[in-house]
Amino acid sequence: MIGTLGLDQHEVGAMAISQLLVRHGYEVIYLGRFNTPRRLAAVAEQEDADIVGVSVHSWEFAAYAGELLARCRDLGVGLVFGGSVLTGRDRGDLLARGADAVFGPYASESAMLEQIGAIVERVRVSPAAGARPAGRSATGVPNTEDMSADDGTAGAPGPLSGRVVIVTGAARGLGRAYAAELCRQGAAVVASDVDEAALEEAAAAVGGVPGSVHAVACDITDPGAPATLLGAALRRYGQLHCLVSNAGVLRSGPILRLDDDDLRLLLDVHVTAAFRLLRVIGGYWRAEAKAGRAVDAAAVLTTSAAGLYGFRAEAAYSAAKAAVAMLARVAADELRRYGATVNAVAPAARTRLTEWLPDSPGGPDADPWAAEHVAPVVAWLAGPGARDVTGQVIEAGNGQVSVPSGWQPGTPYPLPPLMSPAQARSLMPRVLAGAASPPGLLTAKLGAGGPGGSSPGPRRERRDGLPRPERHRA
Amino acid sequence: MTGGRSAAGVPLRPFYTPADGDPGYAALGDPGTYPFTRGRLRPPHARPGGWIQRELSGEGSPRRSNEQFRSLLAHGALGIDVIGDNPTMSALDPDHPMCAPAVGTTGVSLCRKQDFTELLEGIPLDRITLSHSLPPAFAIAGQYLAARDSGLDPAVLRGSAIQPPLYSEDCSYSTFLPYGIRMRLTLDSIAFSLREMPRFHAFLEDTYYISDGGLDAVEEMSLGFLEIREICRRLLARGLPVDSFAPRIAILVNCRMDLFEEIAKIRATRRLFARMMREEFGAADPRSWSVNVAVHTSGLTLTAAQPANNIVRGAVQALAMAMAGVQGLEISTFDEPFRTPSDIAHQLAIRTQQIIWAETNVGAVEDPLGGSWYLESLTGELERRIEAAVRQTEGLGDVGALVESGYFRGIFTRAAGRHSAAVHSGELRVVGVNEHVVPAEDDRFLRDVAEVRFEPDRAHAERIAAWRPGRSGGPLRAALDRVRAAAADPDADLMAPVVAALDADATVGEITGCLREGQGLPADPFEFAARRQPAEVRR
Ligand SMILES: NC(=O)c1ccc[n+]([C@@H]2O[C@H](COP(=O)([O-])OP(=O)(O)OC[C@H]3O[C@@H](n4cnc5c(N)ncnc54)[C@H](O)[C@@H]3O)[C@@H](O)[C@H]2O)c1
Repeated sequence: MIGTLGLDQHEVGAMAISQLLVRHGYEVIYLGRFNTPRRLAAVAEQEDADIVGVSVHSWEFAAYAGELLARCRDLGVGLVFGGSVLTGRDRGDLLARGADAVFGPYASESAMLEQIGAIVERVRVSPAAGARPAGRSATGVPNTEDMSADDGTAGAPGPLSGRVVIVTGAARGLGRAYAAELCRQGAAVVASDVDEAALEEAAAAVGGVPGSVHAVACDITDPGAPATLLGAALRRYGQLHCLVSNAGVLRSGPILRLDDDDLRLLLDVHVTAAFRLLRVIGGYWRAEAKAGRAVDAAAVLTTSAAGLYGFRAEAAYSAAKAAVAMLARVAADELRRYGATVNAVAPAARTRLTEWLPDSPGGPDADPWAAEHVAPVVAWLAGPGARDVTGQVIEAGNGQVSVPSGWQPGTPYPLPPLMSPAQARSLMPRVLAGAASPPGLLTAKLGAGGPGGSSPGPRRERRDGLPRPERHRA
Repeated sequence: MTGGRSAAGVPLRPFYTPADGDPGYAALGDPGTYPFTRGRLRPPHARPGGWIQRELSGEGSPRRSNEQFRSLLAHGALGIDVIGDNPTMSALDPDHPMCAPAVGTTGVSLCRKQDFTELLEGIPLDRITLSHSLPPAFAIAGQYLAARDSGLDPAVLRGSAIQPPLYSEDCSYSTFLPYGIRMRLTLDSIAFSLREMPRFHAFLEDTYYISDGGLDAVEEMSLGFLEIREICRRLLARGLPVDSFAPRIAILVNCRMDLFEEIAKIRATRRLFARMMREEFGAADPRSWSVNVAVHTSGLTLTAAQPANNIVRGAVQALAMAMAGVQGLEISTFDEPFRTPSDIAHQLAIRTQQIIWAETNVGAVEDPLGGSWYLESLTGELERRIEAAVRQTEGLGDVGALVESGYFRGIFTRAAGRHSAAVHSGELRVVGVNEHVVPAEDDRFLRDVAEVRFEPDRAHAERIAAWRPGRSGGPLRAALDRVRAAAADPDADLMAPVVAALDADATVGEITGCLREGQGLPADPFEFAARRQPAEVRR
């Protein structure tokens, strides 16, 4: 079924493609002008169409694309955009949001026919209503062949084309590098941060790449934030495949000096927020799975060497990050049955949290501490190559990537019932003597202050000094 | 181009000689004399003059477009061609809920008298021509009221309004008004203009917009003549003498890339028009025989790939049109595949015209290609083909019935399909598209400029919404009632009530709504549209 949207009057393209399809044996229902997403969907349903084709000759399509994508997805019909005003960027955006195909000016006829044929085939084998998101094969892995047909408007799609990813703490540092890399690999990214201005700037900086970025400012410690982000992803892209929980702050100082506000903030940002995100987004994946749709999801949490080995004078931060590592492990077990993996990354990079790291003279290539080197690891965990990887912690940065081995049960000694103080005095030293001595705490071997010191830089940050964004409630 | 054939399919010889279709000099005539093959009528002893150099303009609010006009005039444009945004072209107001994403993005937003006043403020309407690519009755009414309110006698106004009653619904200028009302608006607005704005070309036959989906030159002109003839017959049936309106007819044609064919087409058109007016409609005034031809170079020949190439295309097309002796010229700008013209594109297009006019000396002599065996042969062949196509279509019966039956839509659709197939097969060679293609990542030059989008002017829509309640209700309602009543009465004049309603601060959307209601249709075209049954396109 073919029509235009809104007041877009140019029908010539729509008429020409209709003729072409008819010549190739398709039945075309022509709907002409002045259509709303609602009307297109209603007629598609009534006529049992396989594909809705929208002819786009003015920019109005942008205002209607979201609703139309959602409606077509609900109906289980394919959705194709075609028209002279569609740029390579539009194409990336629409594909990331779930369009099945996007044809720019002078799309090759054979490529169009081939893609349309493939979409019809796919739509016909899938259950009609509530079918899986358009543009994805049965496993949810993006069908890259479909998107790579050469229509002269964009390069080949990345490995993450068609994947929708939420990244928290995306305004700067590691999160920003993650968002950029995910996008570069073709993903649609919902980028979030509490620092709205920096977030906008970061989102704007990601340009000319295959994917797309949608910025949503919110404070991740707000109990409503996970629902806000999920809602934003679904409204904008109609689906959600990955979560990268990365937002973080550092509050340094020995236990005796760290006050309740800092303690609460560290636990809220790192532990509670990550927990809530898993609860809300895990709940969505569960519902998808229960509805019979194949889920191919991944969550990546952010721990730290501090959480694995401990940082000096960073007890609260270290404890919070240790909690995150364990959260990943247990969540992996729980969400596996719904088709989701959960892993944690312990990154190492020069960011606002680690300004004290040595500066590098060159660009990111030459700088082992550049956040850009960590990003591909996160992208890999979010992609099809890591479908069977779950419950792992991966350390990455400074030119290395490794999987630290975690807690292992030690050699067991019999524990006497109601052990007396005397028994304890004799037994416990023996038990401990057999244990490997714990690795030493990390210190600021990387520089003065370090994650183990109380660098004044990080300490000054955001004592409620950051602008608070308008809250988006779903 | 197409291996031994012109773009419209005329078989070509490898070269031409005096034996090839020499019509004899009498069939050509001197420039400015019947049958005007070599150039239209001009005052005796006048030196060849230049053409009106103008560019398609209009974006955002009327005030913003007014600034754009001023900038074009400052760059040396000699006329203005204004186009409406999608809501305006659809005769909808900017605050209609469906219009928000489109206000001002592809033209100017115009829906009330004040908009026309703001649009034209400070523009020397007595000295320059204003071509309206707008729904004609409203364009004429708006310009008339704006001139009157600024103290200018509407009788001095010059310019043109496109009358598209036959094909507009099929070719992107849909107002969702029934054919009967569209035709009445055409006839009534022409009659109004003849009376009130006698120097204005209220009957511009626009074959550009109908042909730029892929029609060839013969199809283009035959459909154009068909519409001219239908409107003329109806004006005659109203008792208007042919010499009262024929001099106010002008034609805006397309210019594609087969340059000799395009030049021949214009010469054939002048000759056909002259013969038709004199011999068929019995016009006696030479001004009725000699038609004013303006050109808009083809947007379809421009490519989104390597947009800078479009500057070259525009330049060669404009040169050809200068040699064809057209009265007005608009170059489709290099960013046309993406948007309505940007500032820089406007400037380049005006400069292109200025360079051709000022530096090449091409305008020193009229019809410089006249007497070329090839061109004269092609002119004769196109003339025969256009005329045959007109006769053939008229032989099918009532033109209005053909409109309603979708006959013309079929022609447009097939032409669009034919064009895209020819591009894809390589039969129609297009540099940068089916040959000499460069990878997208290397194709950045001027693309960044071309891809900039003009954001919808929401503030203007809000301004209109806020202005509405302040109008005086009584006179407004009465004026709209009269529009509704006139629409219901097949013998009533529509133009007087439309002008009065616009004058009483009714909006174009409200007036069009009343025109629909008078016909028993819903006022809102979206309701109208939603009732249509989907059409199945079958073999
Ligand atoms: N940089 C490293 O070497 C290193 C090492 C181990 C762990 N980490 C962890 O990596 C993550 C990213 O840190 P970074 O180094 O990029 O730091 P960063 O300060 O450059 O970036 C963190 C981002 O999170 C945002 N943020 C903080 N609190 C937030 C809240 N309540 N809601 C929403 N957003 C919030 C900040 O505005 C900031 O943009 C953190 O979880 C951090 O603990 C970093």
